[in-house]
Amino acid sequence: MKEELQVAFIGNPNCGKTTLFNAYTGAKLKVANWPGVTVEKKEGAFRYHNHQFRLVDLPGIYSLTSYTLEEKLSREYILDDSVDVIVDVADASCLERNLFLTLQLIELGKPVILALNMMDIVKERGMEIDLHRLPEMLGIPVIPVSARKKSGLDILMHAVAHHQKKFNDGNLEHHHSDIEHSAHKHSHHTEFALVYSDEIEDKIDEIMERLLAYDPDLKNPRWHAIKILEQDEEICKKIDIDFSDIVTRSYESDIINQKYDFIEEIIEEVVVNKEVKEANTDKIDYFLTHRYLGLPIFLGIMAMVFVLTFSVGDWLKGYFEVGITGFSDGVLAVLQRLHTNDMVISLVVDGIIAGVGGILTFLPNIFILFLALAFLEDSGYMSRVAYIMDGIMGRIGLSGRAFIPMLLGFGCSVPAVMATRALEDTTDRRKTILVTPFMSCSARLPVYVLFSDLFFGKYAVVAAFSMYVIGLVVAILVAFVMTKLQKKKVKNSLLIELPEYKTPNLHTIIIYVWDKVKDYLTKAGTTIFVASIIMWFILNVGPHGFVTDISKSFGAGIGKLVVPVLIPAGLGIWQIALALISGLAAKEIVVSNLGILFGIGNIASSGSKSALMDALSGFNFTAVNAYALMIFVLLYTPCVATIATMKREMKSTKWTVFAVLFQVIVAWIVSVLFFQVANLFI
Amino acid sequence: MTLLEGEINQVYCIDKLLIDGNTSRRLQSLGLIHGTDIKVVNKKRNGAIIFKTRGSRLAVGKDIADKIILEEREAH
Repeated sequence: MKEELQVAFIGNPNCGKTTLFNAYTGAKLKVANWPGVTVEKKEGAFRYHNHQFRLVDLPGIYSLTSYTLEEKLSREYILDDSVDVIVDVADASCLERNLFLTLQLIELGKPVILALNMMDIVKERGMEIDLHRLPEMLGIPVIPVSARKKSGLDILMHAVAHHQKKFNDGNLEHHHSDIEHSAHKHSHHTEFALVYSDEIEDKIDEIMERLLAYDPDLKNPRWHAIKILEQDEEICKKIDIDFSDIVTRSYESDIINQKYDFIEEIIEEVVVNKEVKEANTDKIDYFLTHRYLGLPIFLGIMAMVFVLTFSVGDWLKGYFEVGITGFSDGVLAVLQRLHTNDMVISLVVDGIIAGVGGILTFLPNIFILFLALAFLEDSGYMSRVAYIMDGIMGRIGLSGRAFIPMLLGFGCSVPAVMATRALEDTTDRRKTILVTPFMSCSARLPVYVLFSDLFFGKYAVVAAFSMYVIGLVVAILVAFVMTKLQKKKVKNSLLIELPEYKTPNLHTIIIYVWDKVKDYLTKAGTTIFVASIIMWFILNVGPHGFVTDISKSFGAGIGKLVVPVLIPAGLGIWQIALALISGLAAKEIVVSNLGILFGIGNIASSGSKSALMDALSGFNFTAVNAYALMIFVLLYTPCVATIATMKREMKSTKWTVFAVLFQVIVAWIVSVLFFQVANLFI
Repeated sequence: MTLLEGEINQVYCIDKLLIDGNTSRRLQSLGLIHGTDIKVVNKKRNGAIIFKTRGSRLAVGKDIADKIILEEREAH
């Protein structure tokens, strides 16, 4: 046996796979991308008794065909030699559908263990599952677990460690009811859980014979034979043998039907009491997906999310500001006592601490926002949103499903752009990718918080909230216009599972939020740190070396180049132009660099706010200008990380360049329109 | 009749799917095949429908619902 067992976790979406995975690895997981693609790959190491395990969390999928990226990836990975054991996580409360993937996994011919999750829900509903008969019929170990209550975890790992050795003993006790009548020349009922009809089994035998003649070392010829009968694109491409005399048509539907026939047999024997109680989910759904109430409830929930983000976030932010101002003063005092060079003091205090510290103060707002998003996702409400929004999205030519990435865009555009992968149609995906960055992400939040605080007084929350509405409206308008321009009329089709509602799991939420907060902190420590240093340098260096007057620096020169373009939007100040350019690295930088640009320490502290206010009013910069700035920041090209993700997902440089330019132009048009119209009235 | 014409709280039985390609494959692997029971749970004016089948709850848009052909069956 190998030193370390590689265990792949696989299962349907919403089966609690990630919760189970997290229960083993905790927050110590390594998140990376699968080579070449942006599907997330989670890995964690874990020790149990004398065994070392390496757990890999695969994307949630319903079947193992090769028609979507997630399915293809999972299949390739599982077939790889490095995977020792497959743990198939199934939601016991809807066993019937989950078993479809299980049967496909068993057919792969690798050690599979079925982890029956959510057994507590099964009991609650008065259902019972015969845990003796189920493994007999499937020929694999079945372990009841509850990821939420952390029960059965040790037993599952115990089974993983030992099943690998016992694998291939093959002592299935299952018998098909019609076994006596089979005219098929081989009896497979002691070898395989699922035996197909005579017609298909005969063909499998013939194909296997030919496959083995071609490659005697082929692993699991039976699985390959089944895939050839299904005319699976990948496998048919890989195996260059002519089977046209045996495979006269695609047997895919027959194979699916017979799998479900067998599943029905299993359910009949194994599920003792069928569901007796009406699931709570139906009662909740009566309101949340109600034909009239559904939409207002959703809007209410979103309004609440933003009110919490701004009000509770701002309250917590106060404490952060005090801490960071104190830290900045402390560092200044220490550096002065050490008689550090004035240049260095300026770099550290006015450059680094002003930039990075300015961003850190917004952490509470961002924390609350992600907490709320995690709540929506983990409770199962997100897929209801797709259903509720299907009508409105249909009118702008998108499926309700496209709304999920847009909603995630309120958190961060990068995962939101990745989430468009759930949309099958390329045109739909491209459209969604193009409009998703208009949804205001958390990095833009510091800009709104700062400027609405400065200029809108008690209406600050309204001003900030209006940004989210404007972003949404622009996104919808753009999608609508694009659909109108589209020559080919594609029909969007919603198809989504609505999982059971569940109380969000604290552990899962903590891991999710911590992951985002960590990202934010890393960004503050890296991108923003570097950007702050660069900004400080280009402001303190000019064509003739160090300058004392920043208006003679390189930075001022760059900013002044862009100023003419920004004048119609009321943003014709070189400092603002420069801050906007630097915001391409990350939008928070607009705020952190404004601090450096106007020579103000921590921009979010109250003293600095009035200093900034004074500096800006010197330019005749009023609430109208501030609002135009907020609009511009909302709509213009997102950060480089998003641009890179867009390019990877669209696989087209042309479209990426188009998207980037398009967003700048939209931002310019909308902010100019606002500024000019507003000035007519004021 | 099609799923689009299904009434809330009625149980039907799938006759066939009039869709090809990936959407059909997806529906079949979710267990929507000939003979499968379907219970309509909720529907909206624009035609999106929520239904229960094989113990899970699914939502489909109008154009998919329009292509799932049903046979009537007594509620149980």
